[in-house]
Amino acid sequence: MTGLTTVTDVLTPAPPTTGARRVRRGHGRLRSSGEVIALLVLLLVFTLLNPGTFATLTNARTVLDQAALPLVVGVGATLVILMGSIDLSVEGVMGAAGMTFVLLSANSRGGESHGALALVAALAVGLLIGLLTALIHTRLRVPTFIASLGVWYIGLGVATLLYGTEGIPNFSDPATANWASRLLLGLPHSFWLAAAVVVLGLLVGRYTRLGRSAYALGADERIARDNGVRAARTKVLVFVVAGGCSALAGVLASLQLGAGSVTLGAGTLFLTIAAVVIGGTSLGGGRGGVARTALGVLLLTVLNNGLILSGVSPNIQSAVSGAVLIGAIVAAAWPHRSRLRVVK
Amino acid sequence: MSAPEVVRVSAPTPPSSPAPSVTTPPALSLTGVTKSFGPVHALRGVSLQLGRGEVLGLIGENGAGKSTLLKVLSGVHEPDSGALEVNGKPVRLRSPEDAARAGVGIVHQEQSLLTNLSVAENIAMTSGSRAKAATRFGVYRWGHLNRVAAQVLARIGVDVDPRTTVGDLSFVDRQMVEIARALQVDTGAHASPVLILDEPTSLLERDETAVLEREIRSLREIGSVVFVSHRLDEVMRICDRVVVMRHGEVVGDRRTSEVTEDELFRLMVGRDSRATPRERRSREDGGTAVLQVEGLTRGHAFRDVSFSVPAGTTTAIVGTNGSGREEVVRAVFGAEPFSSGALRVAGKDVGSWSVASAVRAGVAYIPSERRVEGMVGGLSAAENLVLTHPGEATRGPLLRPRARRKVAETWFEDLDVRPRQPDLALERFSGGNQQKVVLAKWLSSPDLKVLVLDHPLRGLDPGASETVNAQIRAACARGTAVVLLPDTLEEALELGDEIIVMRDGEVTARFDTSRETPTALDLLEKMV
Repeated sequence: MTGLTTVTDVLTPAPPTTGARRVRRGHGRLRSSGEVIALLVLLLVFTLLNPGTFATLTNARTVLDQAALPLVVGVGATLVILMGSIDLSVEGVMGAAGMTFVLLSANSRGGESHGALALVAALAVGLLIGLLTALIHTRLRVPTFIASLGVWYIGLGVATLLYGTEGIPNFSDPATANWASRLLLGLPHSFWLAAAVVVLGLLVGRYTRLGRSAYALGADERIARDNGVRAARTKVLVFVVAGGCSALAGVLASLQLGAGSVTLGAGTLFLTIAAVVIGGTSLGGGRGGVARTALGVLLLTVLNNGLILSGVSPNIQSAVSGAVLIGAIVAAAWPHRSRLRVVK
Repeated sequence: MSAPEVVRVSAPTPPSSPAPSVTTPPALSLTGVTKSFGPVHALRGVSLQLGRGEVLGLIGENGAGKSTLLKVLSGVHEPDSGALEVNGKPVRLRSPEDAARAGVGIVHQEQSLLTNLSVAENIAMTSGSRAKAATRFGVYRWGHLNRVAAQVLARIGVDVDPRTTVGDLSFVDRQMVEIARALQVDTGAHASPVLILDEPTSLLERDETAVLEREIRSLREIGSVVFVSHRLDEVMRICDRVVVMRHGEVVGDRRTSEVTEDELFRLMVGRDSRATPRERRSREDGGTAVLQVEGLTRGHAFRDVSFSVPAGTTTAIVGTNGSGREEVVRAVFGAEPFSSGALRVAGKDVGSWSVASAVRAGVAYIPSERRVEGMVGGLSAAENLVLTHPGEATRGPLLRPRARRKVAETWFEDLDVRPRQPDLALERFSGGNQQKVVLAKWLSSPDLKVLVLDHPLRGLDPGASETVNAQIRAACARGTAVVLLPDTLEEALELGDEIIVMRDGEVTARFDTSRETPTALDLLEKMV
């Protein structure tokens, strides 16, 4: 158990270790060790099923490279979901930001490289789209579900406009084209990027007013307001951060692909939200965290990777992922089912 | 001349008073405070004083003006006229922040802590100056935060680790955290803060209450307390002095050492309440019990509750907040579970009990939170009316809007629902008219056997109350068994053929009003 507690200590803010009077042990701790155990079991099972192919350094690099995208998106998504909101615009933002990045870098359509400016511009696109979602929500009082659903397609529209009618824009600079998979300290760049974002996300969630306000809003918006939490401001900032994460994911996806594509985000939204929920962050808000999401992402990525290696047909991959998501949600909500009078 | 000197020395310090003197003005002083909401005079010239280091009880029936007074003190409402002084300085409290700056903190009846955050965070969150210190360049300083919180908690002697998640604390500890938080109102500027506690014990178990009482008494050391409660015994134990309110006025101001619970009660309700004589239906005549409840139990909420209601009679259940009576009637309606015990409707044992089976068995329930539970606000009044018992308004799966409108028009006429527009969304009617529609919805049942009324008259004006009351009596006369949770003891004494008193989840007394005429005081004795 000691190995598990070290992980979960990171997950729950300031767990009382000594001296707390009449303190019950929360369920959160147990549930997150459940996920750690699940991950360990998966690793063990796939290692046994695929001797010589699963537990290799090459495959570890593949898994971590695949986990990078959902990890980056997941940080933003977690903060949004902690507030009790949801951001569905991920794939639209990824398309628009990724396309911006490709077109401003040296690519097969010609044009010159703007270097870091391309990255800045791509991130700006994401921040602006996040701001748009947030303002639609806070000013026009549209639920985030609908606001971000609409913005998703606005993002795709922007990406399509940028794409225009010419051929596919490929990165022409090989250093850019293979950046994501190049190794640093034995692991791919994409993973290091994601790891940095996750660490930043952890710090935001734990040590900033923004992060703590997100937790507060998710628990009970009315009480949070009464306690002086600036709800609208927090929401706007969190959605802007989430937009930035999605934009960075769009850049990373285009680097992994080596080219620009309007739909390079396809599938990321489902994977990310599934990972957030499986990690144990409540869709109702207030409980969970970035570390849990990272765990959820690893679980799902290992599962997908292991199923492929074990020879499971890719055709039933998505069905399996969906079933795992529903199973995880049922398991998480099981202790509370009698208290949920109405489920919408 | 020495005589005047003696007077001057002794007058400001009455023997039993702990603190006040000429040099220290009262912690809080109100003079002629009035507040009206439209035609309702909630406060009619309230004057009271709170000495330093004093625990002052504030009691009164529902609607006596207590909550309005608290809102004035905590800066939620501004009074229409009158003066407020805190520590001798005139103040205007325009917002809760103003009140906090002036040194007045309030712990509201409902919890206001965020359960997913730590104690320290909750404490840091409220007041501006401290919250600023909690972060540097937007980054939380957890160490600092925890230290400040530990100091605030230590100040009132609470032994809770500030890093604990609030959701993991017991209710009494949460209350203490709320108190600690309310007391941190700019302590630097205010040596003697004023703390207002609005029914802090209503959610607590008995032994927890004892802990809280001790803590409240020890607050005298650092400030003054206004303690609002419905439990008179508690008020007598905790407070130095009690102020009684009725109809928006202060009608009594007594030291607890010089008053009895009975006297307080008389001041509160205005008289020794006696049941108004009316024709009582003997419970024996009623014949078979339509509703039988035997040994109904669910954990701590209610234990071993039994009663039976014969046809055409009314059973009123009285009790304070947290007595468990709401839970019992909700269990009778199938809206909440019970773990053991039996329910029989018209002699038939109910098996697996749910709202749906209760409705099929002929049980109707009018909830107190009718906006939340009793109606579908967005649907029209007519649609709401036929929601449960469609009757002629449907044929098979199909709706018959014209028949529905006719049904609704009849009911609107009978119950005098205004405006007479059944197609208007129900949420746009006034509270009283909404209540009439909700009542009609259940009364339209072809075989209504049991009518469960949870505070049916709450928030109704006298006219609407009369109509609703008349309909309840009419239903009773048709042989319906009525279970009533009344708003006031008078209502119980007037309508109940049997009155059951509950306290802390248990039945503590039952009165058959056809044979005895209990007073409100008799009931109250068993409630607290």
